[in-house]
Amino acid sequence: MSQSPFDIDLDEMTLARARRGDMDACEQIYRKFHKPSYSVAYRICQCRELSQEVTQEAFITAFRRIRQFRGDAPFWGWLRRVVINHTISSLRKLPRADLVEFQEYHAPSGGEHEQIGLSMDLESALARLDHDDRAVVWLHDVEGYNHKEIANLFGKTESFSKTRLSRARARLREWLEPPLKQGKVGTGLA
Amino acid sequence: MQQERDPLNLRSLPLVSPPGDDWPAIEASLRQQNDRRRLFKVAGWALATAASVTLAVGLILHRPVSMAPVDSSTAQPAIAQTDAPTSPASEKASTVDSLIGLSQRLETNLRHIRSEIGVMPTSSLIYQVELEDLVAQVDEELSMNPANTELWSQRVNLLLDLSQLYRNELRRESHRMASL
Repeated sequence: MSQSPFDIDLDEMTLARARRGDMDACEQIYRKFHKPSYSVAYRICQCRELSQEVTQEAFITAFRRIRQFRGDAPFWGWLRRVVINHTISSLRKLPRADLVEFQEYHAPSGGEHEQIGLSMDLESALARLDHDDRAVVWLHDVEGYNHKEIANLFGKTESFSKTRLSRARARLREWLEPPLKQGKVGTGLA
Repeated sequence: MQQERDPLNLRSLPLVSPPGDDWPAIEASLRQQNDRRRLFKVAGWALATAASVTLAVGLILHRPVSMAPVDSSTAQPAIAQTDAPTSPASEKASTVDSLIGLSQRLETNLRHIRSEIGVMPTSSLIYQVELEDLVAQVDEELSMNPANTELWSQRVNLLLDLSQLYRNELRRESHRMASL
């Protein structure tokens, strides 16, 4: 079974020291989990600046609340939840104007890839999705969240999660299909 | 099984490297928050003492005290707290959505007003910092419970308080300019 990039072992001693507020231990935790944390934030936000901000805030929250981690599940799972919650929450706290600008910027309507006769790659297709759709498909397909967990995260019903997942997958499939299959004529570059 | 879970093979996408090392900023923020908490305790105590002295002098002089310092703890919330647990899921979702919309609009307004305000008096500044700190605390709670109606409601109320504070400052500023 493929594991989450967050699935990294953390020794009890470092965790215990971090709980006591030891900055060196906190730094060790940060170094271990920084990359997967930033990565998941980026996959959902598709904006480097926002993802960096979100990751910073998530680590600050995690270290301030590390005593709340009960230890009955792996630490990485708890930290991942903090990062993902922060990411979703940050997207929803953006002033509306910023959100619209942000979506317009990250969801170009033009098909550069289509123009040159190439199918859009997975990375670009994911970036083109609406951010709620992208979050749902990423959380479900990659992070292994179930519909109930996604619904709770968004404060919606499970049908919201199912609908968004189905729509996101359909759009991705459509954008990933080779141009010829969609009846487009290639330019001869491919 | 894996194919079923991830039919588009999104897991094949590589991890994205962070642009830089954020640890110094995180460490500074953690230390600063601790210092700020300590400062609030001192500032709160000083303000409370100043208010008591003003009140006492007012009573001694038999003058009506016309203005009390703004106290966020006694301020009535502008938005009633909703009874989330008894609401059906869809109703709750729609309440959360409205509160998020309101919060976004208030953030936009605050950004405009903030840019128009000059230097604020210390008492307002302390109140502003206190409100911003409370917003940060609610944000921290929200990061753990992103769909909590009560937390979004608290956030909106705090933004409304901030908005009111800035409006009062703008009014004060325009009176001052008019009297010149």
